[in-house]
Amino acid sequence: MSGTFDKSGSILTPLVSEGAGYLMLAAGLVVLPLFMPNYQRVFAAEILVWGLFALSFAIVYGVGGMLSFAQAVYFGMGCWGFNFATYQLQLNIWGAVFAAIVAAMLFAIPTGFLATRARQHHFLIVTVIISVLVHTVLASGHYRWIAGPYVTRAMTFVPEVPVGFASLSFKNELVGYYFTLFAVGLAVACAWLIVNSPFGKALRAVRDNETRSALIGLNVNRLRLLMFVIATAFAGLAGALYALVARYTDLEFFHWTYSGKAVVLAVVGGVHSLVGPFLGTAFYMIAAEYLSQYFEQFVIVFGVILLIIIRYAPDGLWGLIVRYLMRQGR
Amino acid sequence: MTGDLVIALAINGLVWGLIIALIALGLSIIFGLLDIINVAHGDFFMLGTVFAWLIVTATGNYWVAFLIVPLIGLLLGALIERCVLRPIEDSAALSIVAAFGLSLILQEGVRATFGATPKRLLDPIGTTIPIFNLQYEIYRLFAAVIAIVAIAGFFIFLHHTKFGTWMRAVRQDKDMAIAMGVPANRVFAVTFALGTSLAMFGGVVAAPITSVEFRLGLDVLPLCFMAVIIGGLGNLPGTAAAAVLLSLMEGLITSFAAPTTARIVSLILMSIVLLLRPQGLFARSAR
Repeated sequence: MSGTFDKSGSILTPLVSEGAGYLMLAAGLVVLPLFMPNYQRVFAAEILVWGLFALSFAIVYGVGGMLSFAQAVYFGMGCWGFNFATYQLQLNIWGAVFAAIVAAMLFAIPTGFLATRARQHHFLIVTVIISVLVHTVLASGHYRWIAGPYVTRAMTFVPEVPVGFASLSFKNELVGYYFTLFAVGLAVACAWLIVNSPFGKALRAVRDNETRSALIGLNVNRLRLLMFVIATAFAGLAGALYALVARYTDLEFFHWTYSGKAVVLAVVGGVHSLVGPFLGTAFYMIAAEYLSQYFEQFVIVFGVILLIIIRYAPDGLWGLIVRYLMRQGR
Repeated sequence: MTGDLVIALAINGLVWGLIIALIALGLSIIFGLLDIINVAHGDFFMLGTVFAWLIVTATGNYWVAFLIVPLIGLLLGALIERCVLRPIEDSAALSIVAAFGLSLILQEGVRATFGATPKRLLDPIGTTIPIFNLQYEIYRLFAAVIAIVAIAGFFIFLHHTKFGTWMRAVRQDKDMAIAMGVPANRVFAVTFALGTSLAMFGGVVAAPITSVEFRLGLDVLPLCFMAVIIGGLGNLPGTAAAAVLLSLMEGLITSFAAPTTARIVSLILMSIVLLLRPQGLFARSAR
């Protein structure tokens, strides 16, 4: 079994058994920040957050086959839900994060219904239009009564997360990192469960051949809508985590170009896997950080890298790594 | 708000709608034949305005830009189709992601070289004509006429030339067309080149009446999408008509409400069309 959603089995034996490989990765993620300076811990947490956002696209496209350019709307809804719960409802962090996910998913139901009614190419255009509609309405100012002051907001206090009887303050960057890691880890575990469940297999059937799936009795529309809404939960969680880690949310996050960011990060990393989106995000953010003086030019280079990967390695960077490891073990 | 201003805004909407119709036609043929939703299409429009500005600044003559930019569009389109899109033509989804990558490259490329500040291009005709009680720029009327001529020329090309017939044949049934001897690869290259050229030509025409900046494509693309959806994906005359009507409607609404309200009305209209008549308002049959 390789680390992707597609290959059902491989006759090559990998260098390291798959489980051991992932365990090493997880251990590395847990231990790594202990050796990093504070600002890098925040940076690592941000990589996890944007990686989760990219994952939400990988799920809706890699598993569901739907090219959605609306993930940013649900990321934004997550930010909004988190802010609303924290400032208006005075919930603690756990409640606020939960509220963020709920907000994103609730918004996804009508918008997802509208989008999944559209076939194939219409779907993409509809998701763009939804993004434009939401962004325009929120930006117009007249409609502030809808969203309130919870869209563009800076967090003026240092959040605290209650764990058991203690309360850990985010003043210590490690707390922020481990909280993010915990949330992202849970999310990835959920994603893994979904992908490998009968539901996930049904979705991949719909993705690969819609007519045949309908003929064997799968309810295509309902499956698609369900997958769409579930994927937005990941985007909403990412939005809430970003609000926590960066302590800032902005209206611009609703814009469809941010959805494009998720698309690009996921495709570069490997859109048919769970690790790929994180790898793509890490690659982009680390490279951008260290080439920051050339950053504007770097985006151009990144665009070219994207085109090259699409042409020669459609499984992304993670696909390349998996194939390499497969070959080494032979 | 005086009646003259309403008329002026309506004519503005009409002019802009004709330009958008030109661009949306390019988007529509690329989708119709190549099955690609070119999310970089707005950025080609932007590139057209940028090239217009560069050429005008270099030569001082707008009409040079007017002639050269569409040709650049043809070349660029053919190049991109051949190098970027042809190798991945089997996967429509990957092609769209590639188009998005192109969009990134174009935007950041323009930002890095041209700069991030919006620039203005001077009206090449410069005189106004009195319409009712208002002085209206002749250039805008010229732009409308040019757009109409270009759109008409496009349809004549499509219906009365051999290559246009080839394009329509590939659009209708690619495999059959190939079996009948139509050179499909050449048709694809020319289609994408033509689509890009239309977008860039729209850019040259629009450059004097809009501000030239790297983010221009992001504003124009949703408009084109709306025209394409309301007109009907693949329905060329419908798309052109929808573009004009949408823009006209937005112009009229702007005369008594905020521009964002006009945009929201358009978006809601588009959502209604999607729900009730997904093949488009002007489609003759459900496709």
